[in-house]
Amino acid sequence: MKLPLPTRGKKAAEGSNGGDPAEAVPNGDAPAPTRRERVQRAKELTTHHGAEAGKSAADWVDERVNGSGIYTAMLTRKVPKGTNWFYTLGSSVMFIFAMQAITGVVLAMYYTPSPTEAYASITYITQDVFLGKFVRSMHLWGASLMIILIFLHMARTFFFGAYKYPRELNWVIGVVLIVLTLVMGLTGYLLPFDQRSYWATIVANNITASGPVLGPYLADFLRAGGDFSTTTLSRFYALHMLVVPGAIGALIAAHLFFVVKLGTTAPPWVKAPRPKPARPTEMVPAGVAVADDSEISLNGSSNGSVPVEEPAAAANGSTPEAESPTEATEATEAAESPGEVEEA
Amino acid sequence: MSDPQDKSAKDEDGARVELPEAQPRGYFEGESMTRRKAFIVGSQALGGLAGAAVLLPVAGFAIAPVVGKAEERWEAVGLVDDFEDDTYRSVVFTEIGDIGEAGKTTAYVRKGSDENEGETSDEFVAISTRCAHLGCPVRFVQSANNFICPCHGGVYDFIGKRIGGPPVRPLDRFQTRVRGGKVEIGPRYSVTNQLKAVRTRDPGEFTGGIWEYLYPPRPTVPAPPK
Repeated sequence: MKLPLPTRGKKAAEGSNGGDPAEAVPNGDAPAPTRRERVQRAKELTTHHGAEAGKSAADWVDERVNGSGIYTAMLTRKVPKGTNWFYTLGSSVMFIFAMQAITGVVLAMYYTPSPTEAYASITYITQDVFLGKFVRSMHLWGASLMIILIFLHMARTFFFGAYKYPRELNWVIGVVLIVLTLVMGLTGYLLPFDQRSYWATIVANNITASGPVLGPYLADFLRAGGDFSTTTLSRFYALHMLVVPGAIGALIAAHLFFVVKLGTTAPPWVKAPRPKPARPTEMVPAGVAVADDSEISLNGSSNGSVPVEEPAAAANGSTPEAESPTEATEATEAAESPGEVEEA
Repeated sequence: MSDPQDKSAKDEDGARVELPEAQPRGYFEGESMTRRKAFIVGSQALGGLAGAAVLLPVAGFAIAPVVGKAEERWEAVGLVDDFEDDTYRSVVFTEIGDIGEAGKTTAYVRKGSDENEGETSDEFVAISTRCAHLGCPVRFVQSANNFICPCHGGVYDFIGKRIGGPPVRPLDRFQTRVRGGKVEIGPRYSVTNQLKAVRTRDPGEFTGGIWEYLYPPRPTVPAPPK
C-alpha cells in the first residue's frame, strides 16, 4: 500500500503528475513550483477534512516514519512457491503469546501473589468474577497450546531444513524462546498455589538444586532462601509476568526481524528451478528454437570460455557475448564438451 | 602502497626514511587520541557507569536471599513422657513461618536408644518426612519398621538410613532439646551415611566425602549441631 506522498524535494515536484488527481500540481510546461508553493501545498495536504482526513493522517505519519514501508516489508513480502499451512505455526505461537499476555494482564487485576491469599484470589476469579472462569481457562489452556504449537513450529523448521544457512541465528533464538516458554510454564504453575502447584514447584526446585556446585545456589535464588518461604511466590510471580515475558517479546521481535530480512524457505519437495538435461545435438530438429530454455541460456553465458579458434563459432563470426544462432551454439557445445551437457 | 612513486623515492633516498610517522586524520601533534575518539570513549564510559549504578544494586537486591541467614525456630511438640524409644510418634509443627499451611511439616519423633547407631538414651530423635530423593513426604510403616516414600519407592530403615530406591542419603533430622519437660523441635540438618550431622542439603544431593564440595553448604540454612 504505497500512499502518494505530499510533494517534497525535487523528485516529488517533478513526478507528481501520476498520482491522485486531488494533489495534481502544475506539470508539463508549467514552471516548477517554488519552495514556498511546495510548503503551502504540503500544508494543504495535511489539513484536509472529512474523507480525506484519514488518508492525510496516514500520509502525515508515512512521510515521517515510512510506516507503509514497514507494512510492505512485513505483510506483502514475497514468499517461496509451495508455502503452505505449516508456515502459519509461527504466527499461531505469536498469537497465543499475545493472548497469554492480554489474559495475564487482566488476571493480574484480581490475583494476589501471597502464600496466604493466592488460593483465595484464584477461587474468587474462578467463581465470582464475571467471565473469570473463561478468562482464566483461556490463560490455562493457552499455556499448553503454546507449548504444543511452539514444538510443532520447531518440527516444521527442522523437517523443512529451514534452520540451515543463513538462518542459524534464528534457530538459536527460537531455541531460547522455547526454553523461556518452558520457564513461563514452570513459574506460572505455582501461582494458583494449590497442592499440585506447591509440590510441583518443590520438586522442580529440588531438581535444580541437585546440579553440582551451582545448583544449590540457583535453587536458593529461585525460592529466595534456603527453603520455600514468604517471598518465593512473589518471586515466581515477578519472573512470570515481568522478566520472562519481556525477554520473550524482545526475542520475538528479533526473530521476526530475521524472518523478514532473510525470507522463508521453500518446502523441501519444491525443487529449485534446475537446468533440464539437454538432448543430444543430433536429436534436436533443425530450426527448433530453444533459446529461452534456461539450459541454453546458461550455456550461452559459459560461451565466454570458448576459444576463438573454435571452428563453428569462427565460421559464424559470433563473439562469445553475442546471441548466436541456435545451431552455432549447439555445435559449439557439442564440440566443447558433449558429455558434460549430458550430465547436467 | 597506493602511491608507488612516494615509496620508490623513499627507498632510494635514505634521508627521507627518517620522516615522522604519518598521523591519522584529526590528530594534532603529540596527541594519542582524537577529540572525537576521546568523546566516544568518555560518553560510553559514562553510560556504562550509569548503567552499572542501576544494575548492580538491582542485581544485589534480587540475589540477596542467596546469602541471607535463616531464622531458627523452636517449637514444643509434646511432653517428654509422650515418646518411646522403640516406635515413632508423628508431630506436625511449623517449619517456615508466615506462609500459612504451606509452612507446616511432619516429623517422626522418638526417644533415643543406646542400641541404635549414633544416639544416646538421653536425647530425642526427630526424623524429617522429606524424602532425600525429590522431597515427597515419606511415612513410617509400623509393620515393616521402615520409612516408605509413595512417589518413587524410596525405603529407609528404622533410624532413617536408606535401604532401597532412588534416595541418595539418609532422611534429614531436626535438632531437639528439652525445655520445661517439653520436647522442642528446632532447625533441620542433613546426615551422611555414617549419620554425621552436616548442614542441610536439598533433596537429591549426596552428603559426605567429595559431595560436601560438589554440593557446597549454603549460608541460608542453619549450622548443624556439633
